[in-house]
Amino acid sequence: MVRRSVTTVSAEEIINMLREKLGDIAEDIRYVESAGIIVRVKPINLREASHIVHDVLDAYFRTMMAVDERPINNTFAAYYVYGLDNKGINIIIETHADPYTPVLPSIADIVPAADWYELEAWDLLGIRFKDRKLHRFVLSDDWPEGLYPLRKDVEYTARPSPRIFYKPPLQGPRLPVGPYHPALHEPEYFELFVEGERVVNVEYNGFHVHRGIEKLAESPRFAYQKVPFLAERICGICGFVHSVAYTLSIENAAKIEVPERAQYIRSIVLEVERLHSHLLWLGVACHLLGYDAGFMHSWRIREKVMILAELLTGSRKTYGINLVGGVRKDINMDKITAIRNTLAWLRSEFTKLADLVTSVPEIVRRARGTGILPRDEARKLSVVGPVARASGLDRDVRRDYPYCAYKDVSFRVPVYTEGDNLARVLVRIEEIFESMDIIDQLLDKLPGGPIMAEKIEVPEGLIGVGNVEAPRGEDIHVVLTGRGRPYRWRVRAPTYQNIPALKVMLRDAPLADAPLTIASIDPCFSCTDRIVVIDLKTGRREKLQTVSIPGGCGCEL
Amino acid sequence: MRVDPLKKSIWVFHLNTGSCNACDIEILDVLTPYFDVERFGIKLVASPRHADLVLLTGPITRKTLPKVVNALRAVPRPRYVLAIGACAVGGGIWYDTYSVIGGVEELKKILEENGIEIDKIVYVPGCPARPEAIIYGVAVLLGLVEQKVHGEVKIAE
Amino acid sequence: MSLKKLLKPFKLINIARKSGVVTVLYPYQKPLITIEFRGKISIDATKCMGCGACVNVCPPNALTLSRRDDTIILNYFIGRCIFCGRCAEVCPVGAITVTHEFELASTSTRDLNEGLVHHVEKCSSCGGRLGTTSKMLQYVILHSPASENYVHLCPDCRKKRFVQSLAMKIGARTEDYEG
Repeated sequence: MVRRSVTTVSAEEIINMLREKLGDIAEDIRYVESAGIIVRVKPINLREASHIVHDVLDAYFRTMMAVDERPINNTFAAYYVYGLDNKGINIIIETHADPYTPVLPSIADIVPAADWYELEAWDLLGIRFKDRKLHRFVLSDDWPEGLYPLRKDVEYTARPSPRIFYKPPLQGPRLPVGPYHPALHEPEYFELFVEGERVVNVEYNGFHVHRGIEKLAESPRFAYQKVPFLAERICGICGFVHSVAYTLSIENAAKIEVPERAQYIRSIVLEVERLHSHLLWLGVACHLLGYDAGFMHSWRIREKVMILAELLTGSRKTYGINLVGGVRKDINMDKITAIRNTLAWLRSEFTKLADLVTSVPEIVRRARGTGILPRDEARKLSVVGPVARASGLDRDVRRDYPYCAYKDVSFRVPVYTEGDNLARVLVRIEEIFESMDIIDQLLDKLPGGPIMAEKIEVPEGLIGVGNVEAPRGEDIHVVLTGRGRPYRWRVRAPTYQNIPALKVMLRDAPLADAPLTIASIDPCFSCTDRIVVIDLKTGRREKLQTVSIPGGCGCEL
Repeated sequence: MRVDPLKKSIWVFHLNTGSCNACDIEILDVLTPYFDVERFGIKLVASPRHADLVLLTGPITRKTLPKVVNALRAVPRPRYVLAIGACAVGGGIWYDTYSVIGGVEELKKILEENGIEIDKIVYVPGCPARPEAIIYGVAVLLGLVEQKVHGEVKIAE
Repeated sequence: MSLKKLLKPFKLINIARKSGVVTVLYPYQKPLITIEFRGKISIDATKCMGCGACVNVCPPNALTLSRRDDTIILNYFIGRCIFCGRCAEVCPVGAITVTHEFELASTSTRDLNEGLVHHVEKCSSCGGRLGTTSKMLQYVILHSPASENYVHLCPDCRKKRFVQSLAMKIGARTEDYEG
């Protein structure tokens, strides 16, 4: 996709502003059209540069990518990507660390959202961060010390033999949770520390779904055209989003011209996926509140969307029609009629269901005023998606950084300011109606032409950023191209950014609101979530009722 | 004391060992009005102690291995396992990475070391496995139908 | 109580009444498959030439090519297949077709392997193994007819023949080297 040249004008202004604010500490500022404005700083100036970009320029933190660049320039590199509201340009801070003892200053106090990224870089690459506690985060507890999987000298098949051991329970006034429960449905389980009926703290133990996808894409087994199939299986509910984000990042970096018709087909399938994901979530939310009739009706409506997806792409889920440079399957007149018929039926059915769900007193009274996320906390943690829009942050990647065919359609972005569970429900319901409108507009404007680019060549050594609005929020992929396959591929799924917000939402909340609050961020993990309740006063430990939160996507590599 | 499974409806327990969740929402789909597996008496239970059949999805990641072993140990005999999806059957698209054990085939060796026996395993391929394929898999497990695939070797002319 | 409050439960009953029973009684009725559905692939034994294009493009390595004695075996492991259909797209002779089969459950993974055995051609001059199948040689001849003269020879015999023809041109004598 070719970017509009309008942004180059404002890129100049931003570069000048950066030059005057940063002064000497910026060693080099360059503008790469596929990624953004890249500013290189020394590690000792990293904290000041982050403070200027995050607090003074009011940019929001999007992702961080740590790379083993020892074969290229004998350093470890870290790229911090920030975005500016409504300007459509990224600011990337690049810094390099020593190859033998890589150490970088920690910015987790300036930018609270960067906390998890530093832990991940320590776990997978061995980059140490000063002045903060580092612990095992992504890899399992029996993984040996000193073996960092993402480094270039470690094979992707390196498997130290697994040991099954049991952690003894800790003693003392602060009670931890018992190690393993007989029916613990991974991936994550939340430990809520309570005093009486009020929640005091939340601990999160996750990454059970880590499968080593980023390392696999760099291995000799893979090539540029095979990775879209891998990307689609990162998550089973919003898989097409990852596939499109990856292909966009490669196409942006290599400046491949994708035909218009392929962009339209990609956008139509993306919106169909958003429909099925929000309907799934609505059913799950109803089920959690005990309203099973809503669950069954919501999934009954959703089944028609799945059948439509199978007609368009060939499979109910994990569509597999995306390739670098275009799509594999075309749409003919029969399929267009099928889409329109399904949309007409869906509109009438869903209006009735939405009306029903928002009028049932059990749902409305339990959702209103619970799980509140205030606007400034949401801004500090850089939450994304419906969670951000329900707390008053007007961010939508489809409108701010247009991709595929979204520059040709007009749609409304619903924003609420209360920040409670009911606001999140209403945002998603409105997004379903907007999606149906968008599909109608796309079908009206569908152009003719080929569906695959003619020349697909990807040179080495380029950087590309691709971002897509998933049903759960903003999904961003950063790619460094290599020979025949990516050199480094960083996937940042939306829920990664949203889970730290649970600490704020569940603080001082009554325990009975916890299941709905956890489900309202639309968590990206399939679980029968087992919430263990520890009463700090009496020291008793009891298990809450098994809260089934089925569905959710495994977006944590 | 062995209970003849054909005389009683099967109660299932869903165990997700690190899958992407596409197979898991297809399992939930089997409970919804379009496929409605409750007409056969099959129910989703909350604890493995109540279950006859374990629906296993996912390639069994390193982090979940101890918990999977524990969960399977808690299922009372006779134990049946239905391995659903390409990840559970053959390890999936990531069968040889550093963080994955590799599906039920590799898990069998670890279970033998820990003394856990499984009476019957049925493999259901698919990515994700269709709801109808899951129903067919349960029918094969109960012995109601004969399986359709047979390993065959053809000679090219 | 107002009339509206009394009528609230009827909304749900209305919806339930209108939608009726939607269950598809699967084994006794046909499943919900559309015409585009991608199921198991089937490899045509008369067309496949053992070139390995499908093996290169398969993301989970469900198709593998291995050599044993003087045969080449193409193995299709249904258990790891992701049903993407890329193999059918890149096959140069169209030997792979995507069917609508999804009832693939089985009690052992050995039943999920389907193999296709090709015989490896022998060199027409020295009798050593060529490493390709006869169908692949026919494919090469079809697309470049001039190659028929040397495509049945192994690389060593090809070199010998080239040197002999060169020697004949300039009138020199050649001797056969043994060993």
